[in-house]
Amino acid sequence: MGEVKLLSNLKPGQKGKVIKVGGSGSTHRRILDMGVVPGSEIEVERVAPLADPIEFKLLGYHLSLRKEEAQNIHVETS
Amino acid sequence: MVVEATVARHVAIVDYGREVEEEIAKLEKSISRLNVLAENYPARWLAVKLLENDNDIRKKIESLSGGVEVIRQADASMARLQDIFGDEAATIIADYRYGFIHGLMKQVLKKPVVEKLTTSDKIDKIVTNRVLGIPIFLLALWVVFKVTIDGSAPFSDWLDAVISGPICRWGVAILNLIGLGGTWVESLWRDGIIAGTGGVWVFIPLLLFLYFWLAILEDSGYMARAAFVMDRIMHSIGLHGKSFMPMILGWGCTVPATYATRTMRNEKDRLVTAEVLSLMSCGARLPVYALFAAAFFPDHAAWFILGLYVFGVFWAIVMAKFFRNTVFAGGEKAPFILELPPYRVPTLKGVFIHMWERSEFFLRKATLVIMSVCVVLWFLINMPWGVENPRDSYFGKVSAAIAPVLAPTGNGNWQAAGALVTGFVAKEAVIGTMSEIYVGGGGAAAAGPTPTFVDDLKEIGVGFFNATVDSGKTIISIIPGVNLMGGGGEEEDTALIRAVRGYFTPLQVVSFNVFVLLYIPCMVATAAFISEFGLKWALFNAGYLTGLGWIVATLIYQIGRLLGLG
Repeated sequence: MGEVKLLSNLKPGQKGKVIKVGGSGSTHRRILDMGVVPGSEIEVERVAPLADPIEFKLLGYHLSLRKEEAQNIHVETS
Repeated sequence: MVVEATVARHVAIVDYGREVEEEIAKLEKSISRLNVLAENYPARWLAVKLLENDNDIRKKIESLSGGVEVIRQADASMARLQDIFGDEAATIIADYRYGFIHGLMKQVLKKPVVEKLTTSDKIDKIVTNRVLGIPIFLLALWVVFKVTIDGSAPFSDWLDAVISGPICRWGVAILNLIGLGGTWVESLWRDGIIAGTGGVWVFIPLLLFLYFWLAILEDSGYMARAAFVMDRIMHSIGLHGKSFMPMILGWGCTVPATYATRTMRNEKDRLVTAEVLSLMSCGARLPVYALFAAAFFPDHAAWFILGLYVFGVFWAIVMAKFFRNTVFAGGEKAPFILELPPYRVPTLKGVFIHMWERSEFFLRKATLVIMSVCVVLWFLINMPWGVENPRDSYFGKVSAAIAPVLAPTGNGNWQAAGALVTGFVAKEAVIGTMSEIYVGGGGAAAAGPTPTFVDDLKEIGVGFFNATVDSGKTIISIIPGVNLMGGGGEEEDTALIRAVRGYFTPLQVVSFNVFVLLYIPCMVATAAFISEFGLKWALFNAGYLTGLGWIVATLIYQIGRLLGLG
């Protein structure tokens, strides 16, 4: 149904459903710990003044990730 | 009386699904054979951590006898799960955990159908705006410093009047009572303790104000936005958004800032941040700048001080970038995974706790260390006994020996050298030493009727009230177009300010202040550095900073002279 994109490529206001969280090591696990797991709904809230990092909304709270971290997250847009 | 409560504990065990649970059970069995660990941690928890590939736990188990086999078994389990799910075990586990949470939330939480824009969202729209974000951050910093410097000044003046007036008189009265009036003890009290310590205490309002505003920024949730706004810049100079917090704290005191680097996960990031922390001009250096600003640039004091802060930040950036590309090159980069909490109105209690935590350390330092240094200094200045000119005292001789080294920076005189030497003990001691050298001893007792004790108390109370009113007025006057202070506000200069004018040229002032900004951190900060990173890196820190300070101060002085500014 939806189109699979990298989370870093979404524009502010766009939503997606996480389908895969790539990467490895402690960074990977920390992203998972923050609730970015397959199935989570995630929305791009805004981009920082210098284009990086990006602020996301998920599970009713705000999380900020750098572009390079968001690049490892695959989402399905509706 | 001790009441023993029996708490019925509900242990919520997340079911990770058949496949994962099978692996957990197998690992649990092997782990419980390593009884050393199983005594301290539940075996199930250890098994889950192993499947999540947790480095610390792996290392811990590996170090036990028989642990290597458990690790091998865990690796096999992870590989099996990877085969089944096509995903890492860590992902599967997190997935099940969030599944559990979602289920729970569905049972207990009702969400409004339409999500409305919260106040937090509205504030964020402006504060983290693409265009306005950085200007707002800089404006916030400017307001904090302006309010700190202008708002605290009336209280400093009040405290100065109280210490050099009533408190000094009370001490002398007590000395007279016990028959020590007019002896060297009175001189020690008047010229050593009051002149030295008092000169530093006067700046306590300044620090309280700074910590107060920093606590407000932090407790309101703005600090996280600042990290969000600034991460790109921090990242590009080889630091981390999280370096930002310790660095801001560095404006207060390098010591808590050094400990605050503990929040950083990556050791190299942490060390680079710590190495440049001292360049974030600490609160104890502020009194030095404030003194010189008041003496030489009274109309542009805030700009002079802000300039020094910005100059420090500039060098922090240059050095961080330099270290990242040389001494600390390579290594895994730490991620920026940060929650932006909703804005909250800071509670007065919370702000005061933060303010107190940070001030307390300084207050203790100011009272204990500084007082001892002032007393020791008083003795050095007055030895050998009966010495007339401080230049001939022991202190003068030591300082004079160091002075030639500082000659290229334009401050190769023994007074400046002496002040800088005591600056290693504590930066604010630079002021104490200078008032000791330039003012102390010359302070003749004021003539006229001695006020009574009641008069003194009245003076203290009324003075505090007036200071509060003045401080309030100055803060409001920061709003453009409002001026409650009535004209230029001719302030009475303290004795030290008048004295300093006779000993420095403006160019020497700039060079001196830049040196104070850059050179060796104080002994307490160095001690903190040793405890966190070891002697080697602490020496490296002290050495490169002093070298940098000398080079930059020399360049400023020499170029300034060439331009005919000296």
